[in-house]
Amino acid sequence: MRTFVTAALALSFTLPALAQTRPDQQRFRALYKELIETNTTLSAGDCTLAAQKMAAHLKTAGYPDADLHIFTAPGHPKEGGLVAVLHGTDSKAKAILLLGHLDVVEARRADWTRDPFVLVEEGGYFYGRGTADMKAQVAAWVDTMVRLKEEGFKPRRSIKMALTCGEETSTAFNGAAWLASHERALIDAEFALNEGGGGRMDEKGKPLIVSVQAAEKFPQNYQLEVTNPGGHSSRPVPNNAIYHLAAGLTKISLYQFPFEASDITKAYFGKMAPQVGGEMGKAMTQFSQGDMSAAKILATDPSYNSMLHTTCIPTLLSAGHANNALPQRADANINCRIFPGTSPEAVRAKLQELVGDSEIKVTVADTRSEVPKGPQPLSPKIFKPVETVAAKMWPSLPVVPLMSAGATDGAFLSPVGIPTYGVSGMFSDPDGNGAHGLNERLRVKSVYDGRDFLYQIVKVYAQAK
Amino acid sequence: MHGFAGAAVAAMIVALPFGPAVAQNLRPDQQSFRALYKELVETNTTLSAGDCTLAARRMAAHLKTASYPDHDLHIFTAPGHPKEGGLVAVLPGSDPKAKAILLLAHLDVVEAKREDWTRDPFKLVEEGGYFYGRGTADDKSLAAVWVDIMVHFKRDRVAHRRPLKLALTCGEETNGAFNGAKWLAANQRALIDAAFGLTEGGWGSMDEKGKRIALGINAGEKLSQNYQLEVTNPGGHSMRPVKDNAITRLAAGLLKIGAYDFPIESTDASREYFSRMAPLTGGEMGVAMAQFSRAPHGGKAAAVLAGDPRYNAMMRTTCVATLINGGHATNALPQRVTANVNCRIFPGTTIETVRGKLQDLVGDSQIKITAQAARSEPSKAPPLVDAVMKPIISEAAKRWPGIPVIPQLEIGATDASFMTPAGIPTYGFTAMFFEPDGSRLHGLNERIRANVLYEGRDYLTDLVKIYAQ
Repeated sequence: MRTFVTAALALSFTLPALAQTRPDQQRFRALYKELIETNTTLSAGDCTLAAQKMAAHLKTAGYPDADLHIFTAPGHPKEGGLVAVLHGTDSKAKAILLLGHLDVVEARRADWTRDPFVLVEEGGYFYGRGTADMKAQVAAWVDTMVRLKEEGFKPRRSIKMALTCGEETSTAFNGAAWLASHERALIDAEFALNEGGGGRMDEKGKPLIVSVQAAEKFPQNYQLEVTNPGGHSSRPVPNNAIYHLAAGLTKISLYQFPFEASDITKAYFGKMAPQVGGEMGKAMTQFSQGDMSAAKILATDPSYNSMLHTTCIPTLLSAGHANNALPQRADANINCRIFPGTSPEAVRAKLQELVGDSEIKVTVADTRSEVPKGPQPLSPKIFKPVETVAAKMWPSLPVVPLMSAGATDGAFLSPVGIPTYGVSGMFSDPDGNGAHGLNERLRVKSVYDGRDFLYQIVKVYAQAK
Repeated sequence: MHGFAGAAVAAMIVALPFGPAVAQNLRPDQQSFRALYKELVETNTTLSAGDCTLAARRMAAHLKTASYPDHDLHIFTAPGHPKEGGLVAVLPGSDPKAKAILLLAHLDVVEAKREDWTRDPFKLVEEGGYFYGRGTADDKSLAAVWVDIMVHFKRDRVAHRRPLKLALTCGEETNGAFNGAKWLAANQRALIDAAFGLTEGGWGSMDEKGKRIALGINAGEKLSQNYQLEVTNPGGHSMRPVKDNAITRLAAGLLKIGAYDFPIESTDASREYFSRMAPLTGGEMGVAMAQFSRAPHGGKAAAVLAGDPRYNAMMRTTCVATLINGGHATNALPQRVTANVNCRIFPGTTIETVRGKLQDLVGDSQIKITAQAARSEPSKAPPLVDAVMKPIISEAAKRWPGIPVIPQLEIGATDASFMTPAGIPTYGFTAMFFEPDGSRLHGLNERIRANVLYEGRDYLTDLVKIYAQ
């Protein structure tokens, strides 16, 4: 309720919005800003530095050094992370793990409107690389750990926090995978909370639904490669590596993988339907009842579309070696998000069939993790607390399980017996918030509300039997 | 004459049914030339990783050994381009009033990626009668011959009335890079002053079996112009694809450019070229050449000629995609995608006209097309005067009876485009023959026939002797 009061004040006095935040929010904002402004891209950033900065806050709050574990793996000095532990009172109760990644996707200053590594608050949004994915939630985790310690909170279960690097780059060193295989005991927990859930708003910023991510599509990169003898560009020949590749990419772009449904997606759209209403709401209801013909209406929205089938799109392109030479090699990366139940090889074969050109070699580029066995069981132990806290903060909003189109580090923890769920209480816009793209942003209100939500829910989980 | 006797001996030895074909069968002068050529090919002179200045120093060392004084060896670099230097060497003639002959070649080569090539592109490999390696033809064959001639004249005290000047430069292969020939023309005009110059271009043609068909000399060249295609997009997370994808958009635009043929054009020189090539070529292609030379726009002649990439390029402006680059992460929708389209513009067409045509072709205002910096102004070839042409023709008749010297429109661009406008008429002529594959210039597994190189060297040595006297 308090957040609503301050929002009303801001409207009536037209003072700068910043000044209206609560003191605890101001401190949180400074932490969030520090994290955004610590570049953690693979190319130029430093996750270890970010981990050290976050550890410093925990140390100031009173965590002993013995409970702060900054780790780096040999050969990856800047791709480190942090594990912190707040010990529980019940030595028999298993811990809960708060998981987050420190690293962000590359961002070029030249392409952005504002500096991606400066936190800019403007028009009700925080702008900057990582504002949404996922430094808001990481900042909330650290902030929660700090507050719990300062308050002298004695959780029944231990609360563990793991901040890692390498989530955004499938070929990079992955801190979560490393912890799962090297520090399994340190991060042991009954379950983990991570990115991937949250909520969805309409374009005006009205929350529609709260989601708990319990399944995810499988990310898989494929390389398309064409080689050619090349030659002098003054003497073009019909057989050109770039044109082969361009024609293949065009064919892939025109193809739509068949629509699929799972229990999770049917339940999601079923609960979403009354919130959305209109023609879209009707299609959601039909889809939830098994009518696949409704999928094409849902697919007009890119976020819904991503939950309906496997998608494959070109993300990287490179060809040629000189401006005056015919290209000898042309490559593209196709990023696919595979609907659960389909194998990476089946998708590869489909891509090869689609390009219909034996000059284009389609290969599986890299494998991020094992293919997940299936959705995580979503027991009331996980789901109920979300419903309870959500009901307090956003009365009348439905809470639904979600299959995310994105991949998370849950793919590394779930297989080692730490089932991982996406929970954030941060609502995103229908346009995807520029995550991985230009001018990434998250509504200021989403950030602050999400922080309040996460703080409360961590306490609930920590005290639960 | 020395050359002829040696060639005959070499031919006899080759005919013997045993022993490796390489090295042992070469005359001593060919062996030392081969070592110099090898040294040059094995000195990487790409813009990305190479060093032209190093190559220039190595060539200067040969001249110094041949007792050129230091004051006649000018290694030059421009500020900010320490590895893109070159060499000017001067051998004074006996007649102080006679103007010099300029022997011009470029040291730099097109990029070559080891993983794409069958052999290491920066090792000289002799195999099956060919020299393989980046620059074996373009343009280290000529650069090595020029250095070798300079050494030969000095060491063997070859009589010559005119001074000989050698200019080896960097940056010919990359539009936008520092160009040494352009720099010399603007900054060291007196040093390189000459009655006329010889440089690459006008390569002769031979069939796949190595049978010589004709020698060429440049009579004009197409203008090389790069255009950038650019698509920008807000991007986003790749888990959430949207219809408007920068890569897909660019791909569609490039396919339209690839499918387009510019209109057929001709010049006096190109019609004469096809007219003279017709009887030498024969067959359906020969008939088409003859028809084209009479009526370029009538009938199917142009369509038949267009089946051969060389002839196609002599008949029209061509544009081809050479580079593409886009995206910033495997898991993000691309925010920026660019392509380079390299055009070879037929004389008389403007850079802007071609840009406008490309923009029409892609038919997508989201694809921004801009002309990159022009390499040079469009220039006219120097007139083919008797003083230059007669020795070329008479030497050819002695060595390769029946092989004509035919003026042709150069489809590539050369550094003559900087020298001729500066008042040093520079001719594209090399006496080296390429097969229909164009010797794979700029491409994979670039090569030249070993005998073509050795015989071209003998020819050019004698030609320079005639010119110098």
